[in-house]
Amino acid sequence: MADAIAVPQVRSTQSGLQLLRLIPGVLLLAAVGYAGKLLEQNVGAYARAHHWTFPNIEYVLWAIVLGLVISNTVGVPEIFRAGVATYEFWLKAGIVLLGARFLLGDVLRLGGVSLALVAIELAVAITFMTFLGRAFGLRPKLTSLLAVGSAVCGVSAIIATQGAIEADDEDSSFAIAAILALGALSLFTFPLIGHALHLSDHAYGLWAGLAVDNTAEATAAGALYSDAAGKLAVLAKTTRNAMIGFVVLAYAIYWASQGQAKTVKNKAAFLWQKFPKFVLGFLLISVLATYAFFNKEQITALANLSRWAFLLTFAGVGLRTNFREMRKQGLRPFAVGAIGEVVIAVVTLGLVAGAGKLFGF
Amino acid sequence: MSTDEKTVAVAKRRGLSLDGWAVLLAFLAALLVRAGIFRHVPW
Repeated sequence: MADAIAVPQVRSTQSGLQLLRLIPGVLLLAAVGYAGKLLEQNVGAYARAHHWTFPNIEYVLWAIVLGLVISNTVGVPEIFRAGVATYEFWLKAGIVLLGARFLLGDVLRLGGVSLALVAIELAVAITFMTFLGRAFGLRPKLTSLLAVGSAVCGVSAIIATQGAIEADDEDSSFAIAAILALGALSLFTFPLIGHALHLSDHAYGLWAGLAVDNTAEATAAGALYSDAAGKLAVLAKTTRNAMIGFVVLAYAIYWASQGQAKTVKNKAAFLWQKFPKFVLGFLLISVLATYAFFNKEQITALANLSRWAFLLTFAGVGLRTNFREMRKQGLRPFAVGAIGEVVIAVVTLGLVAGAGKLFGF
Repeated sequence: MSTDEKTVAVAKRRGLSLDGWAVLLAFLAALLVRAGIFRHVPW
């Protein structure tokens, strides 16, 4: 009985301490993100006042660049790291809140288009990355992790697959480093290519959501182009994220058939465990918004809360990207990822152009 | 299984995932906005 009383006390104390450990890093995310917002407002105004020709740089890019500078010069001290790692939490909360800006009809229509494109993207990405991994002589499980990471949703998919196929930590680190490095590159290349090709917000948003791997980077790459493109990128990426359970299950079954992973006994439970719950939250908020649970002012308030959550996310994307650490992981997984990403980006751009002609966007 | 291991196992069973906490926080914020406690969120 004494144990039954003592254990929850110990647990609540530990939870409290863990929450306290997050505070410095969360404050750093807020400071870097808010500095990005201030720079967007003030640099533009200063340039205009002095009649300088200066591009309008959005807070998204300022926050990422500030984070990158800190991470790659002075580094992120240990005390901040736990809190900085919460950027994925803010991303997911932001996506759920963003659901208020979508009417259910739009979600179903655009989500349906996205789903068809995602299915093709998944097949192309997995097939091509598997071929490439073999051609470059990568270890088979590392190839599987890279394929899942580039086909579905970056780091989350790699971590989910690592457990399911019993891959080494080393393989997982290689794959995560490659996906993160390529995600950082896409932040700068995708908006440039989009502008060069004069893509509409709709087409660009779909493309970013289909081709950029990590959810945080896909959200940022979309927001860097325009607000509307950011919305579409989140919707397409969320559709891709919803596929994670099916892809991981397929890999788990394959590796179990090779005798190199445990057999999945309850497939429905496995799918539910791997399914990203924030997708359901996003849909539910969208349903509530559709049926006028929120008035116009409240929807604006929710959209702004979503922007604040993304502000922390974008700061985190910069702060957790350390190019020196990534370089240590070796060139071959990166080369495989890079070649694969270029092919996936070209294929998905073609898919989006085809869908644009078909559906008129 | 020791008491510590049991505690970890129970915590894992009862604990929400990162996704779960994010959804919970987002819905709490949405409810506060709906209830009029957060009337205006500036940007």
